[in-house]
Amino acid sequence: MRVGLLPTEGGGTYRFAILFLATIGILISSLPVIVVTIMSFSASEYSSFPPTEFSFRWYLEVVQLFTNEDPSSAQSVVDSTLTSLLVAFLVMVISTLVCIPLAYALARSNRNLREGMELLFTLPLVFPLVMLGIAFLLIAESLQLELGIWRIAIPHIALVLPFVLRNCLSAMNGISVEIEEAAISLGASPPRAIWDVVVPLMKAGILAGLIFALIISFNEFTVTFFMYTIDVSTLPIWMYSRTVSSLDPATLALSVFIIVVDVFLVVLVDKLIAGRGNLF
Amino acid sequence: MTNTHLNIEAVSKSFGPVTALNQIDLKIERGSFVCLLGPSGCGKTTLLRIIAGFEKPTAGRLLLDGTDISEVPPHKRGFGMVFQSLALFPHMSVAENIAYGLKLRKTTAKEQRERVEELLNVVELPHIADRTVSALSGGQRQRVAIARALAIKPKLFLLDEPLSALDAKLRDNMQIELRRLQQKFGVTTVLVTHDQTEAMMLADELVVLDHGKVQQAATPTQVYRQPANSLVADFIGAANLVKAEVDQNGQLALFGNTFKVAADHEPGTAVSVAVRAENISLRPAQANGGSAGRVVFARDLGAFKEWLVSVKDQEIRVRSSASDASEYQVGDLVHLSADPARLSIFPFTGSEDAAN
Amino acid sequence: MSTEFLPRKQALLFAAPAFIAILPFLGACFYILRFSLSGEQGTIEGLSFQAYRDLMTPFFGRSVWLTLKLAFVATVIVMVLAVPLAFVLTSLRSSFFRRLLTISILLPLILNLLVQAYGWILLLGPSGVLNSSLKALGIIERPLFLLFNETGVLLGLVQTSLPLAVFPIVGAVRAISPEYLEAASSLGAGHWRTFKDVTVPLLRPGLVGAASIVFAFNASAFAIPLLLGGRRVQMMGLVIRDMISPLFNWSGAAAAGMILIVLTLFVLVASSWLVRLTTTAKETH
Repeated sequence: MRVGLLPTEGGGTYRFAILFLATIGILISSLPVIVVTIMSFSASEYSSFPPTEFSFRWYLEVVQLFTNEDPSSAQSVVDSTLTSLLVAFLVMVISTLVCIPLAYALARSNRNLREGMELLFTLPLVFPLVMLGIAFLLIAESLQLELGIWRIAIPHIALVLPFVLRNCLSAMNGISVEIEEAAISLGASPPRAIWDVVVPLMKAGILAGLIFALIISFNEFTVTFFMYTIDVSTLPIWMYSRTVSSLDPATLALSVFIIVVDVFLVVLVDKLIAGRGNLF
Repeated sequence: MTNTHLNIEAVSKSFGPVTALNQIDLKIERGSFVCLLGPSGCGKTTLLRIIAGFEKPTAGRLLLDGTDISEVPPHKRGFGMVFQSLALFPHMSVAENIAYGLKLRKTTAKEQRERVEELLNVVELPHIADRTVSALSGGQRQRVAIARALAIKPKLFLLDEPLSALDAKLRDNMQIELRRLQQKFGVTTVLVTHDQTEAMMLADELVVLDHGKVQQAATPTQVYRQPANSLVADFIGAANLVKAEVDQNGQLALFGNTFKVAADHEPGTAVSVAVRAENISLRPAQANGGSAGRVVFARDLGAFKEWLVSVKDQEIRVRSSASDASEYQVGDLVHLSADPARLSIFPFTGSEDAAN
Repeated sequence: MSTEFLPRKQALLFAAPAFIAILPFLGACFYILRFSLSGEQGTIEGLSFQAYRDLMTPFFGRSVWLTLKLAFVATVIVMVLAVPLAFVLTSLRSSFFRRLLTISILLPLILNLLVQAYGWILLLGPSGVLNSSLKALGIIERPLFLLFNETGVLLGLVQTSLPLAVFPIVGAVRAISPEYLEAASSLGAGHWRTFKDVTVPLLRPGLVGAASIVFAFNASAFAIPLLLGGRRVQMMGLVIRDMISPLFNWSGAAAAGMILIVLTLFVLVASSWLVRLTTTAKETH
């Protein structure tokens, strides 16, 4: 008999218990997303399950939301979406650009520096999000800073740094010093060796980091909830303000768009870092 | 000494409190193949990396054709290097790997192509230019790494244990090939290895390093026949280090035989005698008296037979050729005798007990 | 043997841009600390523990207790589900199913929390999937209130923090050689016995690490109690927010935040210390 953590044959109660608990785990993880997706195709105004009739009317309504500007609402969905995308883009580019040299420095310098810096850049990960939101709000308000879009982008950058750095670092780990020295011995100056050899080999990790930053920033709710203003607000905040009182099927259709984009991006990350370490 | 290519002058290197190299002086002849040999941690790789420019010596200097290159950064030295991990660029094809050094030297695409082709022919891999590195076998990678280093027409060819990852058979072939290539290009070569057979096979000059010092620098034959000290004798070949004493008449007693030693050993001093396993012969003994020993281990390795003989409190390794018909079993009593012409005698240092 | 490849000065230069990027975060951390020690509620003024003293109310005490309780229960549930999920995930052969499972577990952590809250509302709300099915089957007459109370918040916490446990445990599970299990089996241990005597001890550092992260994450939850608790489940995150938004008690919020930070950091540090202690104790044996 083959033995394993999950026996392929036999195993009795052990195998049953594992599979039972895993199934519950999967259901808790995925049921909400599945229900949202199904209900977004419901023809009825009312959220009864299962839908008696299917239609695309809520999707059409989302399209209308984006095309026919409703002048009465203070913050339009188009503005929010554009802000979300712009913030995510800035966060993605800046966090990656600063993390590539940092990852290089950490992988190539002595151990003390590396450990200290890694700890510093993991802090945002364990820092409570609410506190991050409040802290940034405190600074922005009490110093009366006029930051525009950076009001949201700066906290987001802090938030994604640990993820981007981790991806860049794990990419660096596979690149030996010898390979850089090989380029140098063939006549490349040290910066040239980094550009010709290290950066191309880091590419997958860099891309994974970019996408991670994009996903996190685009979906971020908690910190943004404290930082948004009438002028600068993101899509999750728009969705929140629209559904505070009641659920609106059009928002579900919009949610499905977001789900599809997220799934696509996660698959991309998973492919990029396949076989090399974990997502965290 | 007009033909000295690289002159290493009083080079020392310490890493914090650890001294890796201590006052190394070495002259490397133009076109010669030099092997740096020593046990791990002896500083041989550090010395190679200092030559390549990847480590800065703490003291001393390097002269290439009489010019001080100590301050020249590694990418401007123009030395081809083959690394222990080979360090082929995995994101480039074989041809791109070999052409990389040429590209940096602003040669035309046509020149690059021709040189790549020429080198691939030299290493006998003419049809793999467009393959990726990951598609190559171990031996092929080896050759590509060598071709890449030779493509830049290096002033010095440096190799850091390049063959250690290969299996025995392939390694044997590569050693022969490497030696041929080196002679063909006539390039001054420095190779680091901990494998004494490899070093004996490749080197014009063998540099034995230990404890951060050059213990001996000579031809392989000299190092083997006339080791400079007990460290060298112990490291090269299967040597026995036996403690003995020079008597008042300047005679040395070893395994019950006595013979005259050179006058530079004071009568009455303890010495250690290095005697190689193949320079001892055995004959049967009747009783366990005096100098007789007992066989405690016996094996037949095909090319030769080997015994361990317990004499007093020491075990002596003895080898005979396969054509020798003598058979000794564990428990047999034997007399040993050593060829007086093939003994090396050093002052006693106290490390002899640890030897075989 | 090898010196550092990159000299210290150059390494710091390379790290400088990232350091600038994280500087606002460090500033924010410092600001929170400073504000919590302010004598005034709205501005930084003087140095006092007044804000902390003002927190000594039964209301805040209940909130701390509720936060710790929910975070603890959620952590236990998450760990019970995460270990089997990690086993299944590592034993799947088909890369399609492995990817599908990975994504369905990971998605709740990164997907816009609103979308997930919608899902729970549709599932468990008064007229949601569960209630209408049960009603249709005649099992209940009045809808069960599963949402806008502690049950709903707990479910949300479990869902969003599950990936934080599953993926580190997957890493730890991968590091276990199947030979250990085969050895246990060859010595006569059954599945449960092997699980208890071999698997869990080998996974322990990973399990403790995962559990502490899950706990810290849940203790500082904000969006989930906001969206699924209907403001009735006053976890610390919400209490802190209320101090700011309607009350403008900045120093109070900062002080409460400091307590939250200290609590979560304490759990993280204590658990890593615990892991180190047990592993070094074993090595010296």
